[in-house]
Amino acid sequence: MVAQPSDIPVPNIEELFRPTHDERARQGMVSFIRKLAIIDMRRRLKDDYENRIEPQLDREGRKPADWQAIEKAMAHEHVYRFYSAVRYNAQEMCYLSVQPAVERALPAMVGLARDLAVRNPAGGSLRLNPQLELPKYITALDVHLTPGWVHSEHTADDVAQGAVVSFGGKVFTGQHPYRKRAGVVGESIAYWIRKKYPNFAPRRILDLGTTSGKNLLPYCTTFPQAEVHGIDVAAPVLRYGHALAEHEGIAVHFSQQNAEQTDCPDGHFDLIVSSFFFHEVSLKATRKILAECKRLLAPGGLMVHMELPDEASVSPYENFFWNWDTHNNNEPWYTAFRAEDPVALCTAAGFDASRSFKTHIPDIASFGEERYERFMRGELPSPAHGAGGWFVFGAERE
Amino acid sequence: MKDTPADQVRLPRETKGKRPRFFDDPAIDQMMTFMLELTTEVAVLRERMDTVERLLEERGSVTRAAIEAYQPSTIVEAERNAWREAYLKRIYRMHPPV
Repeated sequence: MVAQPSDIPVPNIEELFRPTHDERARQGMVSFIRKLAIIDMRRRLKDDYENRIEPQLDREGRKPADWQAIEKAMAHEHVYRFYSAVRYNAQEMCYLSVQPAVERALPAMVGLARDLAVRNPAGGSLRLNPQLELPKYITALDVHLTPGWVHSEHTADDVAQGAVVSFGGKVFTGQHPYRKRAGVVGESIAYWIRKKYPNFAPRRILDLGTTSGKNLLPYCTTFPQAEVHGIDVAAPVLRYGHALAEHEGIAVHFSQQNAEQTDCPDGHFDLIVSSFFFHEVSLKATRKILAECKRLLAPGGLMVHMELPDEASVSPYENFFWNWDTHNNNEPWYTAFRAEDPVALCTAAGFDASRSFKTHIPDIASFGEERYERFMRGELPSPAHGAGGWFVFGAERE
Repeated sequence: MKDTPADQVRLPRETKGKRPRFFDDPAIDQMMTFMLELTTEVAVLRERMDTVERLLEERGSVTRAAIEAYQPSTIVEAERNAWREAYLKRIYRMHPPV
């Protein structure tokens, strides 16, 4: 934690969230139902597919050739139906279990965020644009089954969706073995960049689709000399994130902008990052955003985006597993994004093919530094995405 | 919506988007929701009882305010997590595939 520039303590917006005894108990249980689905039932699903369903289809001469055929074969299996039903309900319950406490805390949260947006005690800033048109891919569906998603505003200077996403996310990852702490993706990428490019010292960093900036804050620790910016189209998460960063004593400049077309000058950033971002925007927007990254990156700059592994990088079974979210978690662009080769997307945006990449990197919270050295020397592979590793793609700007 | 005073906001409980059906009979999808909510509520009751028992052991008396103020130690939280895990294992006893 960075020291506060002033002696007046800056309250933590997250400490205003005070669930009752029973609400806490509910949240705790929901984390376990979520884990039951995403760890235990997922394992059972795979075992059943590999040991019973696929061999049986194979014997009948109908062995599934691709993920679509696997999905079709699984749709009527009990093991898949119950896995899906538990997973879907657990997802909804993550948000439902935190909403009443967010409602009670809302007046105080709004007041604090409003105050910090004026005072900026850590030296950050919040720049909102009420005229910004929200893209349809944000408003058409409640992504992740989060009622109101990141953008809905219920009251003046609202932060509610920031709180719902943040606390719902804590319930969601509460018992997940590889989501140990908020911002662990940003932490993992920042660590990897420092190891891979030891002399890289970005002057300015930009995080796209930053929401409340949890995956942006680790870059501030890794590159303390950098000026750090986070953009998102949704005001409630930006207000919330700004309040969080100011409490942490970290200067972050949040602004409400569409990453397809920002108001930043050419070559303004040395490092552009994002986490869990592109699969939630349309493919058309993805192409525009990567072209915008090309425009915004300074010569010698670097772009690293954490994303879902593309279709070609994993097995048909894994594709079946990942694409579940497309229809069942309100993420309509998921399958279409994964069908693209991220390196080809980078080159289409103007990046040099030989300087564009896709790879897996270890999750820093679970991998350990000693093993990391061996990973860097090429002696150990990174664990797979979501199982102790993260899939990233990007490019170096020549 | 933006005109609602902050202390009167009621957040939406339903998501925008088509709800998928996983079973042939949609009543089973609905029953799964009831069951998972009920599973959770039983755990909530059990945890409340656990808090009452622990307070009685420590202090010999219990009040609602004490229940609300109770902060489980790391050890208590670990015991509760072990209970939650075992509890779910008992409930979700899947039949062998046919």
